[in-house]
Amino acid sequence: MSEESKKNKFNVQPGEAVGIIAAQSIGEPGTQFVLRVFHSAGVLSLVSTKGLPRLIELIDARKKPKSPAMTIYLEKNISKSFDDAAKILKKIEKIKVSDLISDFSEDLEAKTLVLNLNKDKLEQYKVTEKSVFNKLSKNTNITVSELENNKLKVKLKKIKKLKQPKNKKSDNKEAKNDQEEKEFSTKATRVAFVDLLNLIIFGIPKIDKAVLKENNENEFYIVTSGSNLEEVIKLEGVDKSRCYCNDPFEVLNIYGVEAARNTILNEIKTVLDEENITVSVRHMSLLADTMTFYGLIKSVGRKGIAGKKESVFARAAYEETVKHFINAAVFGEEDKLRGVAENILIGKQIQVGTGRVKLVIKNSDLKKLREKPKPAN
Amino acid sequence: MKQEEATKVYLDGKLLTSVNDPKSFANEIRQNRRNGLLPNEVNIVYLKSINEVHINSDRGRVRKPYIIVENGKSRLNDELKQKIKAKEIDFNYLIRKGIIEYLDAEEEENIYAALDEKSITKHTTHLEIDPASNLGLTINASVFPEYNSIGRHPISANFMKQSQGMYLSNFNNRYDARAFVLYYPQMPLINSTAFRSLNLKKYSNGQNFVVALTTYYGFNMADAIVMNKSSIDRGLGRSVFFRSYNDEERRYPGEQKDHFKVPAPTTEGYLGENAYSKLGDDGLIEKELDINEGDVLIGKVSPPRFLEEQTSFDVGEERSRDNSVVLRSGEQGIVDNVMLTETSGATKLVKVKIRSIKVPQIGDKFASRHGQKGVVSLLLPQEDMPFSSNGIIPDLLLNPHSLPSRMTFGHMLEMLGGKAAALSGQYFDGTPFSSNGKERIEEYSKILGDFNFDKLGDEELYDGRTGKKFHAKIFQGVVYYNRLWHMVSLKLQVRSRGPVQILTHQPTEGKPRKGGLKFGELERDALVGHGASLLIKDRMLEQSDKSEIWVCKECGDIGYYDYIKRVPICLACNSTNNIEKVEISYAFKLLLDELKSLHVFPKLNINE
Repeated sequence: MSEESKKNKFNVQPGEAVGIIAAQSIGEPGTQFVLRVFHSAGVLSLVSTKGLPRLIELIDARKKPKSPAMTIYLEKNISKSFDDAAKILKKIEKIKVSDLISDFSEDLEAKTLVLNLNKDKLEQYKVTEKSVFNKLSKNTNITVSELENNKLKVKLKKIKKLKQPKNKKSDNKEAKNDQEEKEFSTKATRVAFVDLLNLIIFGIPKIDKAVLKENNENEFYIVTSGSNLEEVIKLEGVDKSRCYCNDPFEVLNIYGVEAARNTILNEIKTVLDEENITVSVRHMSLLADTMTFYGLIKSVGRKGIAGKKESVFARAAYEETVKHFINAAVFGEEDKLRGVAENILIGKQIQVGTGRVKLVIKNSDLKKLREKPKPAN
Repeated sequence: MKQEEATKVYLDGKLLTSVNDPKSFANEIRQNRRNGLLPNEVNIVYLKSINEVHINSDRGRVRKPYIIVENGKSRLNDELKQKIKAKEIDFNYLIRKGIIEYLDAEEEENIYAALDEKSITKHTTHLEIDPASNLGLTINASVFPEYNSIGRHPISANFMKQSQGMYLSNFNNRYDARAFVLYYPQMPLINSTAFRSLNLKKYSNGQNFVVALTTYYGFNMADAIVMNKSSIDRGLGRSVFFRSYNDEERRYPGEQKDHFKVPAPTTEGYLGENAYSKLGDDGLIEKELDINEGDVLIGKVSPPRFLEEQTSFDVGEERSRDNSVVLRSGEQGIVDNVMLTETSGATKLVKVKIRSIKVPQIGDKFASRHGQKGVVSLLLPQEDMPFSSNGIIPDLLLNPHSLPSRMTFGHMLEMLGGKAAALSGQYFDGTPFSSNGKERIEEYSKILGDFNFDKLGDEELYDGRTGKKFHAKIFQGVVYYNRLWHMVSLKLQVRSRGPVQILTHQPTEGKPRKGGLKFGELERDALVGHGASLLIKDRMLEQSDKSEIWVCKECGDIGYYDYIKRVPICLACNSTNNIEKVEISYAFKLLLDELKSLHVFPKLNINE
């Protein structure tokens, strides 16, 4: 068999109802999903949404996935060295103030917080006292002064006002207000302190956890939970062409639709593979194509692709019947009867499969054409 | 330190008081009840988990009797047992004396009941009167349920409820909407205490079948059964089906009322002369008449549904509407009885009972008392059935594959026991938990051996078709089978063309309306997936609500065909030209009409 005919063998026939077949081919195995969420307990516990919830998340085109994750590959020249990889990991992994201190003492009246930096922890995260000092000084809300023995004194300059809960009506309103204000200010100080302790001083925001891994080719790569594609690819040493993020929307913003399409395809494939469900790639790629061919990611459903159907009847037959009829009436829409649903509705042959072919010329007309003498030039 | 919380006490759901020592409080009340100081209807329970005491004395609680056990000893001692045997005391005496007490569902939660006297420990608080009292009535009427898988019990109980038999001995005088009576009900060869004490032998619901555990050329695959046609001809499984129809002469406002009579041909909705041909002068059907589908049983004429305008003062006959009761579609039979009486509202009431004989046929359902159901797939003349050398031909061939996965060992035990019972001419007992299985098998085997049968019930059978002996020995025995009321003759229905709904012009749904089978959304999707567009069109249009409408090419509105002028007309532009006939589904026309009623004007652009 020649290459050409082999290729043709796998081509679909004209008029094949690929959409419905794809929908059924993904939908039917979808009913076999185990409604069980696996909780893997291990050292590298990067919990991620799996199975049916993840599939729904992808198909519904949710803007905020429950568990965004990234796989960050490094440039070829440094990817095999553990130390280089660890350096980049350090830049990615976020370190909070609270991660570096052994204890702290607070003075609510003076609004000062004394942080007791832990030497071992500093060593562990490979940061110096000074860099911590510098990072903290950048924050305009506080003034930082260094004390002895790895102690940092932080004084609050401004405090964010807390949202006041709605007061119940009371007679001596003013007197109460005074009292409350004081209370709030101490409360606000506490909140500000907690915020300060949770302040990320190193690493990339939105990335919660990062783990170094090694693949078969002795190449180190970084797996993260939480994603921030924009910041990560700015880092030196990160291979931008291989950086992977499981959130199609983030990929769409950075790399464009085609990449987003591939992400969707990839993610659907991963979900189905994990459940040991075999579905032909063609169906999944058709789904990914349909979701992205408007240039942005559209969900499957009335807010996405189904709501974008050309035919009024097809849309009205699906969901929100009245809305579509009203709009059609107001704007004088015309239904060209090109889809499947509307043709079934009115009782016409559908333009799929055997109904795809049409008589272009009648046999009798053909004879006439033959009889006609060729016009002279 | 945490303070001990007082326990709330509820009487019939209302907060009564609180106590500090709930356990002894509950015990005290319980003792008082047992001593007869409190009525025995009172139940009390201390729920530790929510720290509440509930006392119930209201009605509507299901309660169950238990023998009280104290300090590891049953209150029902040997002395009392002797007295019971001598019939000196009765059950009520035991309740009065606090030997047996009734517990409701709530109080039952906190007891520790022993199944039998042997298993009483020092913690035991109650003793079951009989281990079988753990089971329900229906299962208790069954035999050997303790040898079956637990999941089979509800199934078998369900089947027993559906069985045909002698449901009441006065069935001849009753007008039940639906009733089945078995021709020759038999008492099961193996029965239980509950069966006997409920006097079920008078109302038994099955027959003892000779069952061979063998396949038959694939005819009894997957819960199908092969039955002996000759046995059926001799009356096996034969039953009579009664259905009652009733109607009354209703009164309407304006001095109008229904009349039982043979409707005049001018009546609205007249069903044709033939339909009324079996009615008597009074408009009621005659007794013992053969009736078929379409026959009217009760001729009834009602006043028109809507009050009409009085157009003229002519003394023409009052218009009336046919409201007769017709035999159900697909049924036939003989009129068993006709009863004419009066309702409490002093209107005439008629009840007609139709009887039809239901001989087992292919498609009827049978089941044993172990949740082993089967549908008759073949009726085999006895000469073609397997037979044994002493001339025994089974009534039913059960596929052996129905046994291992369902684990209904009770069925096999009943086969063995039934065989022993049939041979020795005595009834055997199969009360739940009444003896141990090994002893039972030994007992039955001994009887079988005494009658020169294989001790385990296996027999050498010969193929009725070829006369050759089967290679394997086949287990054969006697089982009590029930005929269930799921019968093809009451379910079979076909339709090619038939009635349609008024609103949509689509075929009706359901058997009583001669309906079609639904062709749903998923079925449609499947056909779309196959690209079978013409098949979809056939199902959704041609065989459903196809209609022809006239569409004006100029304004796009729907016109109609004027049969007097013989031209199509568009009323919107008042023209007769440029109108085309279009084939669409009536549902679509309805949609367009509804849109028009909403002041939306849908235009149809048609081209070649």
